[in-house]
Amino acid sequence: MRVRLFGLIALVILSQGTMAMAQTDDAAASGPDPFAGEELEVHIADPLQPVNRGIFWVNDKLYFYLLKPLARGYRIVPEPVRISVGNVFDNLLFPVRFVGNLLQLKAQRAGIEAGRFLLNSTLGLAGLFDPAQSLAKLQPQPEDFGQTFGNYGIGHGFYLVIPFFGPSSLRDGVGRVGDIFLDPLTYTGLTTLEQAGVKGFDRMNGLSLDKDTYEQIKHDALDPYLFIRDAYVQHRQAQVEE
Amino acid sequence: MIKRFLILLLIIACTLPGSALAAPPLDLVRQTVNQVLEVLRNPALVGTARRERLSALVRARFDFALMSQWTLGPFWRQADASQKERFITLYSDLLETSYLGKVESYTDEKINFLGEKIDGERAEVETVVATKSADIPLTYRLARQGDDWKVYDVVIEGVSLVRNYRSSFGEIARKDGIDGLLKQLEQKVKAQEADRGRKSG
Repeated sequence: MRVRLFGLIALVILSQGTMAMAQTDDAAASGPDPFAGEELEVHIADPLQPVNRGIFWVNDKLYFYLLKPLARGYRIVPEPVRISVGNVFDNLLFPVRFVGNLLQLKAQRAGIEAGRFLLNSTLGLAGLFDPAQSLAKLQPQPEDFGQTFGNYGIGHGFYLVIPFFGPSSLRDGVGRVGDIFLDPLTYTGLTTLEQAGVKGFDRMNGLSLDKDTYEQIKHDALDPYLFIRDAYVQHRQAQVEE
Repeated sequence: MIKRFLILLLIIACTLPGSALAAPPLDLVRQTVNQVLEVLRNPALVGTARRERLSALVRARFDFALMSQWTLGPFWRQADASQKERFITLYSDLLETSYLGKVESYTDEKINFLGEKIDGERAEVETVVATKSADIPLTYRLARQGDDWKVYDVVIEGVSLVRNYRSSFGEIARKDGIDGLLKQLEQKVKAQEADRGRKSG
């Protein structure tokens, strides 16, 4: 059985070449190739798929039976307040974005992030408001360690679903640990459990502003696990290329 | 004599491939999006009538046959004519529902049309959905068809819908075959229809 599986994998890998040729045939049948010069397949190794699917299942239940009901109840808090709470959390993560930009030698983008932080911390009343948002030159330049690794050509390694946090990869998981060191929350003197509580609150606040994105994915996808995995890889790729 | 010459010129102009008469992609997308939003915001339109109106608008601007071909990729060639036809029908339904679901959740938001990039036979129209807490970039990719432009992909926050479906459908087709994929698609479309019935009923 195992031998057959490996044989199958080898066959799939070998057939990649012929598949690429098949694509050109497709193009011939439909006139100009709309995806010319573009990698069409989304690639990420997923050797831990059975384990990942298990964690995905747990996260799914966590979402529907804990996080979502909490977020729904929390919606009694007026929306502008919840938006401001989200702004404060976002503003505090400035070091992660700033250092990420610096490490990638993106001086201009780092400058924009610094400008955003200064403006939003002062005029925006400690980050409650986001006046920088209305300035075209001060749009957010999100970066993190995972993206920094990606920028230097380090691949994902393989796909990982992390309990509670969701989709990630070996590279981005390691990056996440790095990000913790740049998160001011780490230096507040709170216990690990208290910090987790704060993060959980941030997550719930974000969910209360979200318009059922996850529900919609489940509604549209044949296999939500695969859909989210591939969307994650594409999304991260786009972020790295920025 | 001059009149005849002008008519001839007009005929030539009309038959030129990719003539300058094609409306700008940005205007076409804006028109479709605004029409869709208009229907979504109209409380008088409900149930099947509403869905049919939306369906007609989306199908006039999207090229679902082209999207089907690209999504199935290498499996397109393996599929026989009836499988292809079934796939186009089911996948069109899925894409339509999926796209409309997204637009529907943005009904109360402002959609800004940033601009267009035309590169020969292809074009990209960039839009941003400005929600209260974040700006969501949404790009339409279009292919020229004579004097018209048709959408063949929608990219939301860097995630291309066609690429995403292509990867997951490919994995399902490799495991369960094309018929297995069609069966799962059919179940999905039926479940979505049931959902719609519950919502409007």
